[in-house]
Order: sequence, then C-alpha cells, then structure tokens
Amino acid sequence: MTLRSHLLPAVAALALVAAACTPGGGGGGGGGDGKSFEFWSFAAINQKASVDAYKQKHPDIDIKLTEVGTSTETAQALTTALAGGKVPDLVLIQGDNLPKFVEQPQNFVDLRTLGADDIKGDYLDWVMTQSIAKDGEVLGIPTDVGGMAVAYRTDLFAAAGLPTDPEAVSALWPTWDAFIETGKRYKQATGKAFTDNAATSVFYQAVNQVSAKYYDKDRKLVYDSNPEVKAAFDLGIKAATAGITAGQSSFESAWSAGMAQGQYAAVSAPSWMLNTIRSTAPDTNGKWNIAKIPGGAGNWGGSYLAIPKRAKNPQAAWDYIKEMQSPAGQLEHFGRSGALPSTPSVYQDAKLAESKDPFFSNAPTGKIYTDALLELKPFYIGPDSATIGQEFLNSITNVEQSGGNPATAWDDAVRNIKTAIGK
Amino acid sequence: MSTVAAPLTLERPAAPPPTPGVTRGWGERLSAYAYIAPFFVIFAVFGLFPFAFTFYVALFDWNPIGDQVFIGADNFTRMLGDPRFWNAAGNTVSIWALSTVPQLLLALVLAHVLNHARLRFALFFRMSMLVPYITSVAATAIVFAQLFDRDYGLLNWLLGLVGVAPVDFVQSTWGSHVLIATMVTWRWFGYTTLLYLASLQAVPRAVYEAAAIDGAGAWQQFRHITVPSLRPVIIFTVVTSTIGGLQIFTEPLLIATGAPLTCGAVRQCQTLTLFLYEQGFGEFAFGYGSAIGVALFVMIVVIAAINYLLSARIRADR
Repeated sequence: MTLRSHLLPAVAALALVAAACTPGGGGGGGGGDGKSFEFWSFAAINQKASVDAYKQKHPDIDIKLTEVGTSTETAQALTTALAGGKVPDLVLIQGDNLPKFVEQPQNFVDLRTLGADDIKGDYLDWVMTQSIAKDGEVLGIPTDVGGMAVAYRTDLFAAAGLPTDPEAVSALWPTWDAFIETGKRYKQATGKAFTDNAATSVFYQAVNQVSAKYYDKDRKLVYDSNPEVKAAFDLGIKAATAGITAGQSSFESAWSAGMAQGQYAAVSAPSWMLNTIRSTAPDTNGKWNIAKIPGGAGNWGGSYLAIPKRAKNPQAAWDYIKEMQSPAGQLEHFGRSGALPSTPSVYQDAKLAESKDPFFSNAPTGKIYTDALLELKPFYIGPDSATIGQEFLNSITNVEQSGGNPATAWDDAVRNIKTAIGK
Repeated sequence: MSTVAAPLTLERPAAPPPTPGVTRGWGERLSAYAYIAPFFVIFAVFGLFPFAFTFYVALFDWNPIGDQVFIGADNFTRMLGDPRFWNAAGNTVSIWALSTVPQLLLALVLAHVLNHARLRFALFFRMSMLVPYITSVAATAIVFAQLFDRDYGLLNWLLGLVGVAPVDFVQSTWGSHVLIATMVTWRWFGYTTLLYLASLQAVPRAVYEAAAIDGAGAWQQFRHITVPSLRPVIIFTVVTSTIGGLQIFTEPLLIATGAPLTCGAVRQCQTLTLFLYEQGFGEFAFGYGSAIGVALFVMIVVIAAINYLLSARIRADR
C-alpha cells in the first residue's frame, strides 16, 4: 500500500540526481606566496623527474605535482577547473587537446606578459605557432615533439627470414604500400600478425605525414575533400583488410598483453611510444630496433605548458617553464626520459645526436627522430582535429575488428564526423 | 497528527488562557516542519537546483570555458535528428531487456527455492545472494572483461573446445550487449531474489501445505501460489530495474577501454547515460549534454507514471 505513494517521489528523486549534472570544482593547495606552485600533468610521461630535478636546484621552492590521469583526462580536469573550480598554477596540455583552449585565450595568462617573446625563437616554429591565439597571445610553451618511426622485433624478423639491420629494414618499406607488402611476407612466413592494428600503426602515422590535414592553411575544414587524408585513410583500410594486423586497439589491456607476448613484429613508434613499449613489455629488452617510417617525415604528439589566468603564483610557474623548457633544460630531460626536445638548437648536441637506446638494440634514437622532424611539412591543427581523427580511426577499427564494410568505410566516417562536429 | 491529538485530551476544558495554548500549537506545527526540513533542504540543493539548472543549460550552446549562447530548443531538435542518440537509446533498451528478463526469472526461481521449508543452510544461501551486489562494479567489470576476452578469455577457450570460433565480445554489437547484460544480471539477481523472498515469507506456509495435500506439485505451487503472491513486487522490480537500466553507465564505460566514452569504435554499446557523459564531459558541449539529460528524465518520469497506474490497478484488483 505504501508502495505506490512512496515510489513516485523516490523515483523522481533518483531521476533528478541522475539526470542533473553540474560542473564540479577541483584541485587544492598552494597559496599566493609567489614561491610554491601547483602543477597538473598527465601520468606516465615522467614529469616527476623534471620536478625533482628542479627542486634539487631550488630547495626553497615547493612544487605540488598532481598526475591527473591520461592526457585527455587532464584536459577534462582543466576544462572543469577553468569553468569555475580551483585552477593549478601550471598545467601540461597535450597537442591534440590544445586547440580548444587556444580558441578561448581569456582563460590563460598571455605568456608575452612574462617574457615569452624573448624565448619564442628557441622552439620549432611550427610547434610554437600551435599555441598562439588569434590576437597573438602566447598560451603555451612546447615541451616535446613526437617525431615518428617504426619499432620492430629483430628476433621475430629473423625468424621470418627478413633482414634485421635497421638500414636494410628501412629499405624494405620506402612507402606504406611496401610496408603492407612486407607485412604479407611476414604473415606468410610465420602465420602470425605483423603489426598491432591498422588504425594507429598505419593510418595515424600516415595522416601525420601530410602537408595539410583536416584543415587547410586558411584554417578551413577540408577533411572530406583533402586527397592526402583520403590516401592515408585508404592505406589504413588496405592494412586492415590485408590480414596483417592483430586487431588490438592501442593501449588496451589486450594490446599490452599482446606486446609482452611478442604478438606484433612491428609497431608504430612516435618518440614518446618508446617509453610505453619499455614499460609495457620490459622482458623484451634488447629484442627491438628502430627503422625509418615509410612515407617520409611527420609528427604525432607533443605537449605544452600553460598558466591559467587565475593562477595564484604565475611567476613561480613561469620561472619553472623558463628553466626546464630552455634548450638546455629539454636536453637534460631527454636524457632522463627520452622525450624529444622541441628546441632545434640542441639537435646537433652530442648528448642527443649520439644517444643510443640499449632497450632498442642501441638504436640512435636521437638522430632518427630529429631527422624525421627536420624534413617535416607543418600543418594546422584545429579545434575539431581530435574528434575528426577519432572518427576516422573508429571507422578503420570497425572494418578491422567488427566486420565493417571497407567499401563504405570512408563515407561512414565522413557522415559520422559531420554528425559529431555539426559541420 | 500532533495537532489532532492535543485538542482531544480531557484537559481541554480546564486549559489555561487561550494565548499560550495557541503559541504551543504553532510551535508544534512548526517543529513538525523543522523535523522534515533537512530532507527538503538537501533535496532542493542537490536535487531540485541541479535539475532546474540542467533544464536551463539545455537551452544554450554552453561552452564551459567560453561563451554561452541562447539557442532555445535547438539542442532538442538536434538530438531528435541525431543518429547517435537513437543508437544509444536502442542499445540501452537492448541491454535492459537482455539483463532484466533473465535476472527476474532467475530471481523468481531462486526465491521459490530459498523459501522452501526443508532447505538446509537456508540462511547461508540467502546471505550469499548479496555477495555480487556488494562487489564493486569496477571489480566486476575487470573480472568479466577477462572472462569474455577475445584472445585470452575463459569463455572463448570453452567455446574453442567445442569448435566454436572465438567471439569478440567487446567489438561486436550483440556480444557487447550480452557481456554488459551478464554483468548487470550478476550484480542484481541476488538483490532481486531477496526482495522476492521477503515478500514470499509473508505468504502463510499453510497455503503451500494445503496445496501439497491437495496434490499440487512443485511447478503448480510455483505457478499458482508463488507467482501470484509476488505480483506487486514483480511490478516493482520491473520498474526499478527499468530505471536502473536507463542509467547503465559504469559497465559499458569500463569494458571498452580503448574508446570508453563511445563504448567501442562504432558506439556498439554506448548507452544513453554514456552518450550524455560523452557530450557533456568529453566534448564539453554542456548544452547538448543537458538536453540529453532532460530527455532521460522525461523517459524516467513516463516509466514511473506507468508504474503508478499499474500498481494502482493491482491494488484495485484485490
């Protein structure tokens, strides 16, 4: 009897709680003392090493480092904080997430007011350009860039009768078509998958080697008409249907397990990926090497340090940026973490140019990745680039893993993008 | 109630001058409101205000770190023409049906068995029903994702033994629905069983004994005694699990780790709440996300209203 009279309000209350959502606040710590500052970074890219190094040199400065989660989660937390919560003094923003913030420059300190003009010239021009807003405000200082290459397993290549020397391996695949052909040879010899997946290992790499990507030079959307994007997409579909991939989406747990078990002989490897491989499959130490990427130079990834407008200690945060992101600071960080500097003046430095990575058979990683960057044709990354890229990737994954029709994949992707971004 | 009780006492004729009595009556009246106030204050702050605000935000193109432009009902018209919304609605209904029907049937049978007079260790079995319910969803998701894994999962290994090709439970549409429905069923069947059992305990044991003497078998007892006496609580569980089903969020979020907000490459298991979350907190389209929230609210109210009518009818039947 009370069932009926009590259920409706109870149900209504439940529904209200579920359906209603409001932005929350975030963060804590840090007063306006001008010395200490709060720093949000994403996890697993070793910013802690940088912070520790800085603390060593400046014992009087207190840094509260919060590793928020993935780069996307960090951007989400930052958005929420900017919308009304407690902001950090310093925040690391991944390149793909940056454009949405650059569109709203009023949320950040214009770093020119702190002296960014003096150091702007230290950074790769096209990298710096990405963080400059419409009226010339400088919103972020680049920390690293993601030159591209292919990491491959020498033991598995040898077992399949393929060459193992990086020069010879690079010569196997001057183009992505040749890369796919090599994959077929490998599959024929071993019966096993050649690479992890088509979406990231082929499409994401190829689509970052273009001269214009989803926007043209005038910042107009051209993702559906740009032949370079279509060509990269077709390569992705070709790889997906060639039977050479394991169909494991990058960074999922099964992908990690597959990497540890040696299920992929070759994996796309932007410079930051080396750390991922190292930590995902520590037992494969010494079994990897690094070859050139098919199809020429390109960039995938990279991050920026920015200071929110309501930061309590912007000067302390700026001092940190200035010291740690200087060419010398970035070179040191390369030694600690392998993150490739965004400051070209150190590319000839022996510490970088002659660096070798023992985990990857002493591959000259510094030289490989800087070479890949210097020939690069810069392109504009816009506010919807991340969404567009994700939809293309989803469409290829659908063909690769869920039996989607390769013939309609492009049209599906374009339609989904139009729905998602509304233009 | 207190105001009714006080005037009926015998002391009334000998009562002191009216003024203090009136103030006491007011005080008592007000204190009643004071006692219930905390709930309504909390409800207003955490329930009513967020809801009203959601409704308000739904009328805007609301960028949390930029401009807020009033666009009227545009978010709603966009939503009704958005294939992703209907896909999410379809997924939600499919997952709800796949989880509710087996769950309630299983609970019915289990409650009937647990209610049996001669069951040994009945208390142990009854208590153990609650174990899945008190397990965290995240832990459940980790375990089930491993059991259902395409390459290393126990289930696919078993299927392989009988010669069935491995099923990709996360990437395929029906597979992901089955996986999520299994997780939901696993988590809630014990809770539902205990609800049924509590209701069954109210049925006099003599009814079952009389039926047994009249020659009714287990199945007939189940059909003619257990199910009819559970009718109101069955309606209740159908409604609550429907409301729960409309709000399925954590399970799909956790199984497709690569593309969690869409639950897979082609949104094959994206539910309405997940779509809301993707738009609100992935894309930061607060206005559009709020519009989805309002739509969800309307659906839940409609279902609650249907329940109200149904249970009113059941009462009238008796």
